[in-house]
Amino acid sequence: MMAIRELKVCLLGDTGVGKSSIVCRFVQDHFDHNISPTIGASFMTKTVPCGNELHKFLIWDTAGQERFHSLAPMYYRGSAAAVIVYDITKQDSFHTLKKWVKELKEHGPENIVMAIAGNKCDLSDIREVPLKDAKEYAESIGAVVVETSAKNAINVEELFQGISRQIPPLDPHENGNNGTIKLKPTSQAGRRCC
Amino acid sequence: MADRHGGKAGRRRGGRSRQGACPGCREVRMGVASSRYWAFHQGDAHTAASRVPPSSPGGGSPLALPLSGKLPLGRYHLSFRDLTGVGPQTSSPSTMESTQEKPAESSSPVPGSEEPAGLARDPEVLPPKESEGCARPLETAPKKICGYLSKFGGKGPIRGWKSRWFFYDERKCHLYYSRTAQDANPLDSIDLSSAVFDCKADAEEGTFEIKTPSRIITLKAATKQAMLYWLQQLQMKRWEFHNSPPAPPAVPDAALAGNGPALRLELEQEEAELEEFLCPVKTPTGLVGMAAALQPVPAMPLALQNISLKHLGTEIQNTMYNIRGNKQTQGTGHRPSGEDSSPSEEPQREEQPSPPDLSAPGKDPADSPKPTPKSSLTANLIQKAKRQSNTFPLFTEGLTRNRTAQEKVLALEQQVLMLTKELKAQKELVKILHKALEAAQQEKRVSSAYLAAAEDKDRLELVRHKVRQIAELGRRVEALEQERESLVQTASLREQQVQELRQHVQLLLDKNQAKQEVIQKLSEKVTQDFMHPPNQTPAPPDAADRDLLSQQEKMEHLKDDMEAYRTQNRFLNSEIHQVTRIWRKVAEKERALLMKCAYLQAKNCQVESKYLAGLRRLQEAVGVKAGECSELLRQLIQEALQWEASEASADSAVLSPISEYDEYGFLTVPNYEVEDLRLLAKIQVLEVHSHHLLAHEAVEQPLRERWAALGELAPSAEIKQLLRAGVPREHRPRVWKWLVRLRVQHLQGPGRYQELLSRSQACKHPAARQIELDLNRTFPSNKHFTCPASSFPDRLRRVLLAFSWQNPAIGYCQGLNRLAAIALLVLDEEESAFWCLVAIVETIMPADYYSKTLLASQVDQRVLQDLLSEKLPKLMAHLGQHRVDLSFVTFNWLLVVFADSLISNILLQVWDAFLYEGTKVVFRYALAIFKYNEEEILRLQDGLEIYQYLRFFTKTICNSRKLMNIAFNDMNPFPMKQLRQLRMAHRERLEAELHELEQLKAEYLETRAAQGPAVPEGCTSEDEGEAEP
Repeated sequence: MMAIRELKVCLLGDTGVGKSSIVCRFVQDHFDHNISPTIGASFMTKTVPCGNELHKFLIWDTAGQERFHSLAPMYYRGSAAAVIVYDITKQDSFHTLKKWVKELKEHGPENIVMAIAGNKCDLSDIREVPLKDAKEYAESIGAVVVETSAKNAINVEELFQGISRQIPPLDPHENGNNGTIKLKPTSQAGRRCC
Repeated sequence: MADRHGGKAGRRRGGRSRQGACPGCREVRMGVASSRYWAFHQGDAHTAASRVPPSSPGGGSPLALPLSGKLPLGRYHLSFRDLTGVGPQTSSPSTMESTQEKPAESSSPVPGSEEPAGLARDPEVLPPKESEGCARPLETAPKKICGYLSKFGGKGPIRGWKSRWFFYDERKCHLYYSRTAQDANPLDSIDLSSAVFDCKADAEEGTFEIKTPSRIITLKAATKQAMLYWLQQLQMKRWEFHNSPPAPPAVPDAALAGNGPALRLELEQEEAELEEFLCPVKTPTGLVGMAAALQPVPAMPLALQNISLKHLGTEIQNTMYNIRGNKQTQGTGHRPSGEDSSPSEEPQREEQPSPPDLSAPGKDPADSPKPTPKSSLTANLIQKAKRQSNTFPLFTEGLTRNRTAQEKVLALEQQVLMLTKELKAQKELVKILHKALEAAQQEKRVSSAYLAAAEDKDRLELVRHKVRQIAELGRRVEALEQERESLVQTASLREQQVQELRQHVQLLLDKNQAKQEVIQKLSEKVTQDFMHPPNQTPAPPDAADRDLLSQQEKMEHLKDDMEAYRTQNRFLNSEIHQVTRIWRKVAEKERALLMKCAYLQAKNCQVESKYLAGLRRLQEAVGVKAGECSELLRQLIQEALQWEASEASADSAVLSPISEYDEYGFLTVPNYEVEDLRLLAKIQVLEVHSHHLLAHEAVEQPLRERWAALGELAPSAEIKQLLRAGVPREHRPRVWKWLVRLRVQHLQGPGRYQELLSRSQACKHPAARQIELDLNRTFPSNKHFTCPASSFPDRLRRVLLAFSWQNPAIGYCQGLNRLAAIALLVLDEEESAFWCLVAIVETIMPADYYSKTLLASQVDQRVLQDLLSEKLPKLMAHLGQHRVDLSFVTFNWLLVVFADSLISNILLQVWDAFLYEGTKVVFRYALAIFKYNEEEILRLQDGLEIYQYLRFFTKTICNSRKLMNIAFNDMNPFPMKQLRQLRMAHRERLEAELHELEQLKAEYLETRAAQGPAVPEGCTSEDEGEAEP
């Protein structure tokens, strides 16, 4: 039996960039053109193998509209990782991303893994944010960066795999804020991948 | 045309047969056979009514039928009486001959004046016997409906009317028919339970139709009255069938069976109602009922044609049966003797008018010396009457077959008549002879006195006296003569006067004639002028005359038609009435069945959902260990999930299918992709459906009635309760509009919405972008918002844009789209939806609920936490133990008033109360939702599982009554004061916290600025190294 590690991940980003779609694609491998805008937050889990561990992602999807930002701390508090999503066709969303990064740096958990997802890469012909900019920025903050398409299922798995790799391996001494670590038999949520 | 003449003749004949009878006789006859009398009477009326213009279809021979139908009526009736064994007239042929000769012999000078009385008494003897005979068919007739009717059928060249014996079977509500009454096997049957009846005014007399779903049967009764009788009886039977409690195995429901007597009463009452349409038709005696079976099959021109080609098998069977049957009961079938003796009654009745005529001359004593011509006259009259009766075409037919018995009676009665007359004449003679004798005796006395006179003187004296007497007499004669002359003179004078007067009258008549002619001419002219344009040359008077006549004729026809149509209309009215009643009845039954079906379906859904839940539990319990078991389980689950598809296509689709969308367009089956969630979704849908089915009749119906009874809407305790229980869909728009108006009256100005709209078009609010972004993401599970052709997104856009200018401080907050969308879905009117949104945001919710900081929303989260801890301490302890923060669901609940959480029918019920009572309702329901699922949450022992469960658990709530009861009863007391205090306290605290946070932020920035451009966090250097892909 493999060890299961629960990782709290939160999704942040401007409204309408596709946070919920990425989660939906990752967890249910399903895409819906119109997902109801998230209000409050949404919670889903998915377990993926990583090395000799199973990583159970506890994904908290948040609301994008700016006035809901004040609720975000509740969700990034105690997160092992944060996926910050922007829309490659909207420059504004990239600015919002930077704001989130800043907030995380200021108020987020200390060792939080940040992953930048440039969503809607299927619409690259109307791209506003060059990949180069994103890469440069990600590098500057030490974040994983990947352009995804929840619609076409591009790089969504990879995004979370990247996060998994960023998570420091289980160290009995290090028992910080990387989420709770538990050993328990597989529950029904893990059935899909084993 | 010939037919019409025939009809008139027939009427005349029928009329005379009535008038001919003496008053006493008639009374007696009416008592005996009143039904027949009325049959005649009605028959006459209908004959007149059904006269159809020759041009109309089927008007070829409408009158031949009533005639042939009407007259045999009487004959059959009588024949039946005779059948019952009255016939005392059976005498030997020899006596018969003698009576026939009697009238010729009775030239004896005896007049009979007292005779008629004796004759009149004769029929009086008959009634009891006759009524005895009548009573039987009358009693049996209502029980058994049967009789001969002509059925239109056949194919091709042999298409035509066929005589059939029809009889009704009570048990099956079927009308069977066979070729003759004696046939054992019916040819076919007509299902009356689902049939409707029709009669057409322009069709042949007596024709009516029975329409069943599968075919139309055209039938023809002998008379119109018989037709109406049939129709009415069939209607009654059909109604009885529908009204009768269903067969025991069909519905074991005791309640339904218990309705039996009540329904009976209703039936009677409704039967009384029916009379308004068409008064019950008297049984046409002899044409229907068992008695008709004894009649011969109405003659058909071609016997072969009558044989059913469609049912040859049955025909052969019946023929065989008849052959066998005839051997055993020969002659009992048609009873020719009984029938033939019947016409004897008719001639008797024909004679009855003669005696009163005879009595008048018989009383005159002056005529007594010469009675011979009188008596011979009587005989002549009798003979004439006889001849007349013999000229009856119908009677000749009967007479030729067996003349002896009938004539015997006749002769005997005539003999009696003659003898009585003779006796009377003899008595008169005796009286006259007596008087003659008296006169002779007086003369004898005088002459003997003369002879007795002794002397000449005396004799002379006597002679003188006589002479004087003679002279006196002569004078008197003279005076009389004079008187006579003067009288003659005056007579001639009078004559002259009369002559003059006559001339005068003639003059006046001529004058009148001339005037009439003038009038006629003028009126013709007028009609002509009226008919033709004035410039046309006036038609010759001859033509006008003819025109007038034809017009009159036409009018006559039209009147007839009108009468016929009126009858038809009356019948059709009754038919409509009945069919409606049956329809109502059937609808009632259907509703009961549907209710039962819904109940069963609900039960089935519950069982199914339990089964699925069981499967799920089992799956969880078994886990991955037992591969075989889990494989089996997986299979079962797959099967269970697939049921839906096959079920929907099968029968359940017809009744109340689990439709994909509810009445407001929300998807009923949530789209979960994960299999175990799909299972849950299925369970939940089944539960919801079963609740819906169960609630529909039991709960919603009374509510609906209460709402319907509610008049003007005004705030009251009653309406509060009603709103809590939910507004029926048909009343909701009206009620919501009222609720909204109550709240925003002070804000509403005329044209305010349009003004805001035009402002939003003129200059875009910064929120417009976000609105646009959310438009297509509003209720993706609702067909009104996902359908590309739908107008809802556009309307929603306008409402939200208008609101962004109505309240620029809020502009747009995610979630307002849901609120506006719900309002749009319910109110279906942009402006009303807009005002509903205004009512919620600006009057119901506290300030800052949707503002930039969502301060009030955050406050309410804490308030809810407090309330939960107070009302559901056990649950909160459990959640605290597993470190579950509820706000990730409850924030949404409160912000959009459950729009994302509850299934639509419960959601709208919550909104009904929410719009009236305000935010307290939201808290009540938030608490109630947790209470509703408390057990389930307490069972979960893992934080993640609880989170998973909380994601969808609101959608599993399907018992709105239960939820409502928890919200409004279990959560009491719930004072507004407490809520206000909690809100105030938390608001202060939150504001302080925010202030603190701001300070922290400022401090942090300061420290960072002091630190300079150093690497902010130590650990990021590590990450940087691993960040390379």
